[in-house]
Amino acid sequence: MGLRWHHFALWGLFAVTLFVLPEFVSRGTLRTLIFANFLAIFAISWDTLSGRTGYISFGHPFLIGIGAYTTAILTKRFDVAMEISIPIAVIATMVGGLIVLLPALRIKGSYFALVTLAMMELIYQLVQVIRPDLTGGTRGMSGLPTLTRGAVNGYYMSVSLMLAIALTTWLVMRTRLGTALSAIGMNEEAVSGSGLSVTKLKMAAFLFSAFIAGLGGAVYIHYLGSIAPRALFDINFVFTIIVAALIGGAGTTVGPIAGAFFLTFLLEYLRPYLPGAERYMVYSGLALILYMAQPKGMWELFFQGIAKFDRLGRRE
Amino acid sequence: MSAKLEIRNLVKRFGGLVATNDVSFTVEPGQSIGLIGPNGAGKTTIFSQIMGEHQQSSGDILIDENEISRLSTPQRILAGVSRTYQVPRPFSDMSVAENIRVGLTPDSIWQMITRGPNPDRELELAESVGLAEEQLARLPSELSMGDLRKLEMARTLATAPRMMLLDEVFAGLTVNEIAVISKLVQSMRDDGMTFLIVSHDLKALEPLVDEAIAINQGQLIAEGSYSDVMADKAVRASYLGAE
Ligand SMILES: Nc1ncnc2c1ncn2[C@@H]1O[C@H](COP(=O)(O)OP(=O)(O)OP(=O)(O)O)[C@@H](O)[C@H]1O
Ligand SMILES: [Mg+2]
Repeated sequence: MGLRWHHFALWGLFAVTLFVLPEFVSRGTLRTLIFANFLAIFAISWDTLSGRTGYISFGHPFLIGIGAYTTAILTKRFDVAMEISIPIAVIATMVGGLIVLLPALRIKGSYFALVTLAMMELIYQLVQVIRPDLTGGTRGMSGLPTLTRGAVNGYYMSVSLMLAIALTTWLVMRTRLGTALSAIGMNEEAVSGSGLSVTKLKMAAFLFSAFIAGLGGAVYIHYLGSIAPRALFDINFVFTIIVAALIGGAGTTVGPIAGAFFLTFLLEYLRPYLPGAERYMVYSGLALILYMAQPKGMWELFFQGIAKFDRLGRRE
Repeated sequence: MSAKLEIRNLVKRFGGLVATNDVSFTVEPGQSIGLIGPNGAGKTTIFSQIMGEHQQSSGDILIDENEISRLSTPQRILAGVSRTYQVPRPFSDMSVAENIRVGLTPDSIWQMITRGPNPDRELELAESVGLAEEQLARLPSELSMGDLRKLEMARTLATAPRMMLLDEVFAGLTVNEIAVISKLVQSMRDDGMTFLIVSHDLKALEPLVDEAIAINQGQLIAEGSYSDVMADKAVRASYLGAE
C-alpha cells in the first residue's frame, strides 16, 4: 500500500550502487563495508523491536549470540552442513530468545532494558562455564567453515543479505503491522484501547527482530570463520548497534542502514588517531550531539535538507 | 445489535482510597445514560474498569449477560464496548488517517500484514465525526482540541462498538463543535447504539441521555430521570461542595 514506482527505483539505485562498489574501492575499504553491512543488519533487527515499540533492548548480542553459537557448535562439533545449521540457528534464536525474554516483554520501560542487559551478561558467563568443550570457552572457536572466500565475495554475500533483510523489513513495516508497532511506542494504552493485543504485537516484533539477529549472527561467524565471545558480548558492541539505529533514524528502515555505514566508517577513520576504547567516547559524543539536533536521526535531517533545498529552488 | 451493560456491586480501591464504592447500575440495550459527579468522583475509574484497564477490587461487570471481568481490553472491545479518553492522546507521529487506521486494524498479525488498510472506510469515519478530507494527512499536533476529540471519537468508532463510553467529549469544544458531536451521538442513538456519557457540560449532556446517574466519592447517590437527578439534594450538595 502506498507503494510507488519511485520507491522501487530508489531501492534499485541503492542496490546497484552497492553492487558496483567493489570496482572502485580498495580491499581494506571493502572489509570495512562488509562490517557495515552486518552492523546494518543488527541495527535493523534492533530497530524492528526497540525503534518501533520503544522497548529498548540492550540484549541484542544475546540474540545474535544464540544464532552464532548454535551454528558454530553444530558445524564445528557435529559436522552439520551450514545449509542446515544456519536455519536451525535462526529457529533457536527465535525460540530461545522468546523463552527467556517473554516474561520481560510484559514489563515496561527501563526494566525491560535492564533485563535484556542481564541476559547478555548471563549468556556470556554461560558460554564460558558450561561445556567449554562445546563452546570453546573464553577463547571461542576458530576454523569454522566459511560461506565465501575473499573480500569481494564476502562483500557480495553481506550486501545481498543486508538488502534482502532491509527490503523485507521495509515492506513489512509499511503494512498495518508496522503502523501498529509504531503506535505502541507512542501510546500503548490507546493501542489496546483500539482493540489490539499489545502483548501479541510485541511478541511479533520480537520474533521478527530475533529472526534477523539470528540470521545475521549465524552468517556473520561463517564469514569470519571464528567466534570470539569477548567481542560479541562486549557492551561497546550493543552501543554500536543502538547508536547506529538512533543516529540513522529509529523507527525507519533506511535510518539504521545509514547509521551503520556512518558509524563504521567513523570508527575506522578514528582508528589511527585513537587506537583504544577512546574512539567510543568520541562517537558517543557525536551521536549525542546529532541526537540532540534531530532526535529522529540523520535520515530526518536529510529529508529536511531536501525540503529546504526544494523551497529555495521554488523561490527562484 | 445494541449491547447491554450491567454493573454489580463494583468496588475499586487505590490503596486506602475507595474510588468506586459498591456501585451497581444497568444500561439497557439502546439506552443512553449520563454519568455525572464532581471532579474526582470516580467516573473515569468506572470506565477504566469496564474496559479492563484497571481490574476492580470486587464486583461484576457484564456485557449482554456475560461476565467480562476476566477478559483483556481487546477482548472486551471485541465483545462490543469501546471508550474515548478524557485527555485525547493520539498517536502523535501518525497522520489522522493512520490514527483511525489503528482502530480499524483487526487483532491478527497475519491479517495486518496481508490485508491493506481501507482508505475509504478511514475517510468515511473521519467525515462521520465532522473531520474534513484534507485533514486526513495532518498530524495531531496540527489539530484543534475540537478536532482531537473528533479524532478520538473516530478511532473509537472504528472498533465497531455496540456500546460507547464517552469521557468528557465536550470539554474544550466550541459551541459549533459541541453541536457536531451532539448530532453524531443523536444519530448513533437512532441507530441503536448504547451510551454511557460522562460530561461536566450538563447543558450539552441533557438532550443526549434518557436517564442519569450521579456519583460522589465513589458512591452512587442518585439515579433516575435527568431532571429528578438534577433536582436531588445530595447531587446539588455534591456539586456545591466540590466547586
Ligand atoms: N491510578 C490511580 N491510582 C490512584 N488513585 C487514582 C487512580 N486513578 C484515579 N484515582 C483516584 O480515584 C478518584 C477518582 O478518580 P477519577 O479520575 O475516576 O474521577 P473522575 O470522576 O473521572 O474525575 P474528573 O471529573 O476530574 O475526571 C480520584 O480521587 C483519583 O485521584
Ligand atoms: Mg474523569
